[in-house]
Amino acid sequence: MKRLAIAAALLAGVLVQVTWAPRLTVAGVFPNLALVAVIAITWTSGVRHGMAWACVGGLMLDLTAPGPLGPHAVALLAGAYLTGFWARNLDRESVVYPLIAAAVSTAAYSVVLVGVDEMVALPVPPWSVALQLVIAACIYNALAMAVAMWVVRKVRAPVTRDHRELA
Amino acid sequence: MLVLAMLSEQSWAAGARGAAKGALAPLESAMTQASHSLDRVTSVLGDISALRAENQRLMAADLALRRQVIELDAAAKENASLRQALDFKRSFGHSMVAAQVVGRGPDGFSRTLEIDRGTVDGVRPGMVVATGAGLVGRVREAGPHGAIVQTLADPRSRVNVYLAKSGLQGTVTGGPNALHLDIEHSLGLKASSGEWALTSGVGGGYPRGLVVGELASVTYRPASTSDQALIAWVNEPTSLSLLLVITDFVAS
Repeated sequence: MKRLAIAAALLAGVLVQVTWAPRLTVAGVFPNLALVAVIAITWTSGVRHGMAWACVGGLMLDLTAPGPLGPHAVALLAGAYLTGFWARNLDRESVVYPLIAAAVSTAAYSVVLVGVDEMVALPVPPWSVALQLVIAACIYNALAMAVAMWVVRKVRAPVTRDHRELA
Repeated sequence: MLVLAMLSEQSWAAGARGAAKGALAPLESAMTQASHSLDRVTSVLGDISALRAENQRLMAADLALRRQVIELDAAAKENASLRQALDFKRSFGHSMVAAQVVGRGPDGFSRTLEIDRGTVDGVRPGMVVATGAGLVGRVREAGPHGAIVQTLADPRSRVNVYLAKSGLQGTVTGGPNALHLDIEHSLGLKASSGEWALTSGVGGGYPRGLVVGELASVTYRPASTSDQALIAWVNEPTSLSLLLVITDFVAS
């Protein structure tokens, strides 16, 4: 049931990302809700869960993008892995770390996405343009991450409290 | 995932890939319609708050009138857009299929649009896409009931153009904020702001004469072989809703 709910939320996030979110474009980028969701899952539930949902979310993104199926999934996997590595070694309750993790993971996601596109012989943007887009996306996704973490903590708060009471 | 990416890129997998991508199109279409409804609601709510501050007594009547105006305005805009498309279709002389935008690319690297027409409607990869205002881009992939259009704003798109006044030629590339134009130098000729850029037909990728945009600014580089310019695209990608796919032009 929980997995179904996460899958539905991820699908909704992807649909919002490709229909409504482009209206919020600033400096050529708009929030990558799938990436933000995967980072939030990884940060709160661990790297294994995060990477599994990265595959699912990435394939959903690939269905809306030109080119083969897989590049977005690989890019999201890199983002989730980096976030998981970060979360394992730092205080998960911190407010600032998830934002930095989102920015760093966005950079990793973008580099891997461009790299995979190049590998499967898809045209890639010039490096100067790509760099500009990556920097803007890092800032935007970090801000979106703040909202996402607030939502995730609100959703998880009753569950965590119940667990504590049972213990 | 990498293996999947490589396999799904193969030509024999194009059908299955197109069908899989078409599966999300109805959901995207529904979400697009929902967001349009939400826009109307937020617009009306904005009007309500303004009216409440202005005059409580007239609020109800004014709200009804404003809603009617918004609806009429939206209908008029749609009407104008359809008329423009129809005029363009008549005057352009090519065979076209009208398509609705149902989704957009998932990130800044791919400025693409998803449309609700596919191979069943005669849409094929490589076909040119336009609006009544001018060129939009090219169909990149097509499934049975949907297709993905690579717009000119995509950093990976390239279009050869000529300038209407000076006759200079150049290549337009996409960018995150504006279209960039590299103008080839020609003895005695100089590009100037306000000139219109149209497709030149060079390279056979696009038919000649489609409007791309207006030169917003030009940076002259005497020491280089080309000048650089920014183009104000005639189509605003975030507001595009109705597109025309030119079905009888084959890129060479």
